[in-house]
Amino acid sequence: MPQPLPDWGSATPLDDVSRQVAITGVGEADHSRASGRSASEIALQAVERAIADAGLAPAEVDGLMTSAGMGAQLAPAEFHSHFGTNHDLWTGPGGGMTWAATAPHAAARAIAAGEARNVVNVFSVAWASEREQMEGGPGAFHAAEPMKAVFELPFGWFPQPVYFATIARRHMHEYGTTLEQLGAIAVACRRHANLTPGALMHDKPLDLEGYLARPMLVDPLRVEDCCLISDGGAAYVMTGPERARDAAKPPAWVLGVGEGRSGAGLYWSQQGDFTATPQVFSAPAAFEMAGIAPAEVDVLTLYDPFTIVALMQIEDMGFCPKGDGGAFVEGSRLHFDGGALPYNTHGGLLSHAYVLGIAHVVEVVRQLRGEAAAQVPGARVGVYGGYTGHLASTLVLARD
Amino acid sequence: MDLPRRMPDFPLPDTEWAPGRGFFEAAARSELAIPRCAACQRLVWYPKPACPDCGGRALPWAPVSGRGALFSWATVRRPLWKPFAEKVPYTTGLVALEEDPRVRLVSLLADCAPEELHADMAVHAVFRPLAFADSDRALVVPFFAPTR
Repeated sequence: MPQPLPDWGSATPLDDVSRQVAITGVGEADHSRASGRSASEIALQAVERAIADAGLAPAEVDGLMTSAGMGAQLAPAEFHSHFGTNHDLWTGPGGGMTWAATAPHAAARAIAAGEARNVVNVFSVAWASEREQMEGGPGAFHAAEPMKAVFELPFGWFPQPVYFATIARRHMHEYGTTLEQLGAIAVACRRHANLTPGALMHDKPLDLEGYLARPMLVDPLRVEDCCLISDGGAAYVMTGPERARDAAKPPAWVLGVGEGRSGAGLYWSQQGDFTATPQVFSAPAAFEMAGIAPAEVDVLTLYDPFTIVALMQIEDMGFCPKGDGGAFVEGSRLHFDGGALPYNTHGGLLSHAYVLGIAHVVEVVRQLRGEAAAQVPGARVGVYGGYTGHLASTLVLARD
Repeated sequence: MDLPRRMPDFPLPDTEWAPGRGFFEAAARSELAIPRCAACQRLVWYPKPACPDCGGRALPWAPVSGRGALFSWATVRRPLWKPFAEKVPYTTGLVALEEDPRVRLVSLLADCAPEELHADMAVHAVFRPLAFADSDRALVVPFFAPTR
């Protein structure tokens, strides 16, 4: 077992917001390959659908949370222009990635303080379209980091598939993780996408044999280990306890929120524990706030840019001992129908859409309502794990 | 601190950027150098304004042996980034330095086939020109090769 370095990372102290806020509406924009749509156009479609799902009128939405980190922002002016409203909107940092899990914490605080009553968190990307025009995209953000520009890019250690192939290789060395085990994650996501209308890989089956027959992209990762690039988005509506109880659909209560960070920031090469994620700091805090143990989780969605990132988070969140993730995910153990831990039941970033985690939260809510396409029977507790590299976050949701 | 410039022959780096200049000056002499805290002697990587252990602000570039262990690696089999497409297949990875394995250097692997590599194998720095087809500059940088 490698010894983590002293500056590996820490949890963000978060005050208890358990059951102070619930998700009462969810909506997805259309997911597609390059579509020519703008990110704000996509965001507005998602917001419109989430508000309708919550049974609210646009004028009743008085809080708007958008990307704190990356991607286009949906400005309040665009919201008003689209919906024909002009009321005050509380705004806060939200969006996808780790913020898809932590936005409910900030929303709970704002709702408790009387700053807003119904808050929408939205995230969208048009990276498939932007990639064709050679601007933006997921690599550009990292290429601008000064130490990467000088000490990593010249040596070909770029972009993200190279980082995570290197991490996967070390995980295989330390823990005996196999290619078949990484493949089991990709196959579970694909099977769930095959069942999910609107998933980009809906019509493209993949079994383990087919996975293993595919060529290496960045050895030891194949294309099938890597997330899609797509245009799309999603949104969810949050409200306080009184309104949530009268909502149009059963509320998904926020039981716990956690956030952890790596001391190495965005420099994976220098991360204290190279084969772990800051979920080791985030998940225990979220489960403690929620008052539940990992074994009580009925459905899990994880920000999954690469199969190895899902495997590490499953370990780091305590679903199995560190290093046992490979055996934990084998075969059909992540499948929605009888798996030990139903995982990314919509297909995840690998096979559903690359909307950076916001659709993962939507999927958890649908599972708790019993509305999902690949429905886990009787799902009561659902968790989303967010990840950006330097940050990880955890959102524990439950139905009544 | 100022940001490194994006060079016309990107992805070759801005070797004049103050926080990294000592690395490339040493490499030109076929030496590997890492900032070392003058107060507590810790090697500090990546370069930082202060030592994370003791806060010391004097961090001169110190020569190191160039020996290390291959921490991990990835072999790029299909082009996924235009500037390196001409080098595919190539193997890039991380080397943990003998003097302090907390220092992980990103580098290219040389003089070996990917099938020969295994984690924690002994490697050492070899200084070679790094060049790209459409640029005139050849920058000497440390690659790492298996120590046989």
